Amino acid sequence: MTQAGISLHNVTRHFIRGDGQPVTAVNGVTLHVPKGEFVCLVGHSGCGKSTVLQMVSGLMPVSSGTISYDSHVVTGPGPERGFVFQKDSVFPWMRVIDNVEYGLKRRGVGAEERRQIALRYLELVGLSHVAHAWPKELSGGMLKRVAIATVFANGADVLMLDEPFAALDYVTKRQLHDVILDLWGDTSANRGRKRTVLFVTHDVDEAMLLADRIIVMHAGQVVDDMRVSADRPRTTDSLAAPDMLAIKHKLLAHLGLERHAGGGAV
Amino acid sequence: MTRSRQRLISLLVLAAMVVLWQLISLIYTAEVFPGVPMMPGWEKLFTTTFLSMADYFQGGFGIAAVVDGAERSYLAAALAIVQHSFDTLVRLYVGLFVGALVGTLIGLAISWSPWTRRLIDLPVQLLRTLPLLAMVPLFQLWFGTDFSGKVIFVAYGVGVLFVAGTINAVKNVPQIYLDNARTLGADKPTLYRTVILPAIFPELRATILLSLGTAWATVIGAEYLGSQSGLGYILVYAQQFGYVDRMFFIGLLFIGFATISYAIFNNISARMLQWAPRPAAQAQVA
Repeated sequence: MTQAGISLHNVTRHFIRGDGQPVTAVNGVTLHVPKGEFVCLVGHSGCGKSTVLQMVSGLMPVSSGTISYDSHVVTGPGPERGFVFQKDSVFPWMRVIDNVEYGLKRRGVGAEERRQIALRYLELVGLSHVAHAWPKELSGGMLKRVAIATVFANGADVLMLDEPFAALDYVTKRQLHDVILDLWGDTSANRGRKRTVLFVTHDVDEAMLLADRIIVMHAGQVVDDMRVSADRPRTTDSLAAPDMLAIKHKLLAHLGLERHAGGGAV
Repeated sequence: MTRSRQRLISLLVLAAMVVLWQLISLIYTAEVFPGVPMMPGWEKLFTTTFLSMADYFQGGFGIAAVVDGAERSYLAAALAIVQHSFDTLVRLYVGLFVGALVGTLIGLAISWSPWTRRLIDLPVQLLRTLPLLAMVPLFQLWFGTDFSGKVIFVAYGVGVLFVAGTINAVKNVPQIYLDNARTLGADKPTLYRTVILPAIFPELRATILLSLGTAWATVIGAEYLGSQSGLGYILVYAQQFGYVDRMFFIGLLFIGFATISYAIFNNISARMLQWAPRPAAQAQVA
């Protein structure tokens, strides 16, 4: 547990369901994510992937086992671990720019500096023109951009995204994939390092487009851990390469959509 | 229908009510005693009744009071209305402010943690069950019939509403805003200041409007018993002598003051809530 990055050691999480039945959402997960890696967690809904994310963020305590980040045991949320939620999390009572500055203000960054940082990230997500708008005046896709800018501006080292684009249309989703990859690749703001990304999704194509590594979960356990070595930027063509198709078939098989890992199996 | 057209119709309805009242006063001419009709018409209200307010003038401003042997005058009557309205309004708003502040703080304290909930919730819930106006005599014995006694009574009536309203509003704050603030580095006091307070305001608006009504009821209730000034004091004296017209006149003042209060509050809260999403158009039932 002295490794840099995120480490989960034998992490388990129980719930008591409404009818009194105990449920094990996450069952003995051990996992290490080194710094700078883009990891997608894939699985059925209810497989425990979101629960893992919630526990790494510190919003939910573990039932047993330990989660550590850079050798520090996670006991609660911290600004070094940013979170982009599936639902709208942008504060409606603050203007867009004040939302983006929120985390910086909590850390005592001066007014001038935080405005500059916030404006820079709003520009990166393409929202400079609505910096002083109220969130109610923005579309769903724009609100997601605000949420992403807020987390990146806060300088988080680890970014957790819980099915962030599930509710968005196809075009908006593809645009935001580029935004996320651009920000991830932008090492200038993070002491020359890439940030670590944990991205929960049930969309196989999304995972293949984004990830360095895809972790598949089923019934609270990790059942597969695959490396995606295709070059970036990934295109429609490169995603159709034989080794990528093999990964896709394996993922579909894990999701029960294909009986066997067919096609160009490795 | 345009806004100005709706406004015009409202004004016409108001005018119709005024005319209707005058018609009733002309048709139903029974009197409580000679000179005091059961249904005072407008010509009566704005002459004799208005002038009679001079009886309650407490003196000052270099104008002699009726109790000191002076004749009734319109000036003294107007000053009397100002004096007594001022006393009532100060009691009302000081009580409202104190009650809103203390009630909101108690509500926030109860929702702070399971421990504070266990400690404060039950006593507050029990206090809530007390019928408010029945407590007037008790409050007078405890806190006296002077300014502080009335203010405390108003604050109590309003505070109870705010405790309940605040607890409810805090419960309804979407968890995602709290989670978002926490992952961005907010500690608990910051969470209350930057998330919970702004998030509960739209819901507290209903409580504030409700409390304006309660504040009027409690301040008049407090003035009913053992007060030497205020609109409630005039009301009690008028009632003891059967001056229906004077009571009706005070009633009109209530309507006037309450309407102004609501208008001011709506204006301020609309400005504070410019961030809040509003339904684009009113639902059409039919």
